[in-house]
Amino acid sequence: MVRMTSFIAGLSLLAVLLAIGTPVQAQQYPPVGGRQFPLNQMSPPGTAAQWAINAGKVAPNYLQPIRVTLPQDGKVTFYESVERPVELAAPAQAALLVGRMYRLKVTGMDDFPGVEFFPSIELIDRLHPPLGREEDFPVDFEFTTEEFEWAANGRLITKVIYLEQPDRVPTELLERTPRITTIEPSRNALAEADALGRPMAIVRLGGRTPDPHRPDPAFFGPGGPVRVAAKVTQTSAKQSAPAAVRLR
Amino acid sequence: MKYYFLALGTVVVVCVGCAMDGNQLTNKGEYHAPPAAMMARPGPMVDGPGPGVLPMMGGMGPMGPGGMPFGGPAPRPVAPSTTQVRFVGPDGMHIGWLIPNGYAENQLVAPARYNFFQGGTYRLKINNIPGRDSLTLYPTLQVYPGHPNTEAYLTHNSVPLQLTEEDIEQVESNNFVTKVIYLPDARYQELAIANVETLVSTRLDPGVDPIQEADKRGTIMAVLRMGNMDLEMPGQAGKPMAGTEQGGVDQVAYAVDGAQSQFMPPLPIGPAGQGTPGIPGAMMVAGSGMPGAPIAGVNTTAWGMPITGTPIGLPGPPHLPLGGPATLQSHTVRNRSKNEVPAGVKDMLIDVKHDPGYRLPPPVSYIQYTEKHPVYSPGELSMPAWAQGQQGQGQGQYCPPQQQQ
Repeated sequence: MVRMTSFIAGLSLLAVLLAIGTPVQAQQYPPVGGRQFPLNQMSPPGTAAQWAINAGKVAPNYLQPIRVTLPQDGKVTFYESVERPVELAAPAQAALLVGRMYRLKVTGMDDFPGVEFFPSIELIDRLHPPLGREEDFPVDFEFTTEEFEWAANGRLITKVIYLEQPDRVPTELLERTPRITTIEPSRNALAEADALGRPMAIVRLGGRTPDPHRPDPAFFGPGGPVRVAAKVTQTSAKQSAPAAVRLR
Repeated sequence: MKYYFLALGTVVVVCVGCAMDGNQLTNKGEYHAPPAAMMARPGPMVDGPGPGVLPMMGGMGPMGPGGMPFGGPAPRPVAPSTTQVRFVGPDGMHIGWLIPNGYAENQLVAPARYNFFQGGTYRLKINNIPGRDSLTLYPTLQVYPGHPNTEAYLTHNSVPLQLTEEDIEQVESNNFVTKVIYLPDARYQELAIANVETLVSTRLDPGVDPIQEADKRGTIMAVLRMGNMDLEMPGQAGKPMAGTEQGGVDQVAYAVDGAQSQFMPPLPIGPAGQGTPGIPGAMMVAGSGMPGAPIAGVNTTAWGMPITGTPIGLPGPPHLPLGGPATLQSHTVRNRSKNEVPAGVKDMLIDVKHDPGYRLPPPVSYIQYTEKHPVYSPGELSMPAWAQGQQGQGQGQYCPPQQQQ
């Protein structure tokens, strides 16, 4: 009986030592599909685009047409640089350089009188439309009234726009418009979008505005060339409307 | 005997069950890359502060429209050098700050916002608080440098700062209030509430440091320290001992009043995270995450100043003796990480296969070409009907070259 008691005591001690010596390390974001993503929605802005260029994922000189849609009438300004804004009426279509981060300005919405929003768009991939019809297949960025309300209240909304992979998206999701999936902050939006398709862009919308007393040139980012579209077709934009994973 | 095994099982389950899922002793087949902020900097001696350190590699590429480079180096990620602080309230509160030779009064009226340079500590002057007209506070605002975890937020959002009724009452009661505004880590963010959070020292248990507590939960962006000390009393340093009411002459400082459309940026009274007289010492903070070639004293620490962290949270040894002989003889930092980095490959073999593979006919190695021409006897040649009428009019007859005009 004494020998058995010693045996049990030894095992108990071993169990305690195992429990102490096995730290449970918490990851910042849980892996998706067994893969750990080094990038996430809180990575420094521009990093994902920079990695896409460095890895040769996309050619750095491709101008990807995009289309910004607002919930109501308004103005959208693209910034080639601080001194060279390009203002268009919504829905605004222009071609931006892949691998860059652009700052935008959204103004003139009736529900937000006098309020200016400065979202950013970071293009990390491109579409491959038929040659010569690039303008007919823009990447659609659709903002909602709810998102602008969150931003006006000082919240940061991060959306990852991705091109759906048909065999990974449930059929019922294809019938809904817009297809926006809201996830909790503890999940990696970039990884979730990658699991469902091909991430195209990261959109961030917050409440920061330029300070006229102390302008910060870095606020507008590096910018880049902006090519204004010659025409805007409503139907073609819907054909290529990607889905989005949104985090607020 | 069965009770012993029951007790044994209970002990094992209690001690091990929460920490092990049965796969700790086996290879899960997962690979983990370092964080993005670490991978953005390739390694030691690259893109770090100090002399002899290589800047980030890459030359300028061809230029595109608008003077923007095509290709070549990747665009520099957006890294703001300022943090926009939003003074939420109370409404109507006037905010000024320390400038050279005095205070700039009434520079902002809450609600208002202002871009403060990161990595600095500023002395504010707050007055005209609704309901407390005679109260003037001189808090310090410590704006932390940007961090890879907070750059996305700081680029798109402002840092809210609000003085609540409770904060002001605590200050009036001779208490010291520390407010720490931080961005929580993902695992500490509650569902659907992805926002900054504020820790207030008066709401924590006694002995709990709000800065250390916030640092455990996330990344600090700004710290406000507030007491009821009056920094503009007559006779204070910089002020003459005798006031005007005693026949003395009061020194007139350079006055800047925002109510008269006069504006002047604040003067940093010290770097963020460094102990400064009059400012409680705080934790060491990492340097700004801005890439680019470091220039000592411009965008990084001055040459010779301690920049190396130690495992105990104190600044490391200076790189140069500052005015005296060096005393430190040994400084060791041990990396205890268990990294599994395999050795390099010496021989590489790549097998490629098409299935099904190419299958083509054998190439041509012999060609036999034969032409057979009809042979007619005299009188067997028949002319086409369209040529029969012109027969004998020179068709096909020999024409000397000199007659071809």
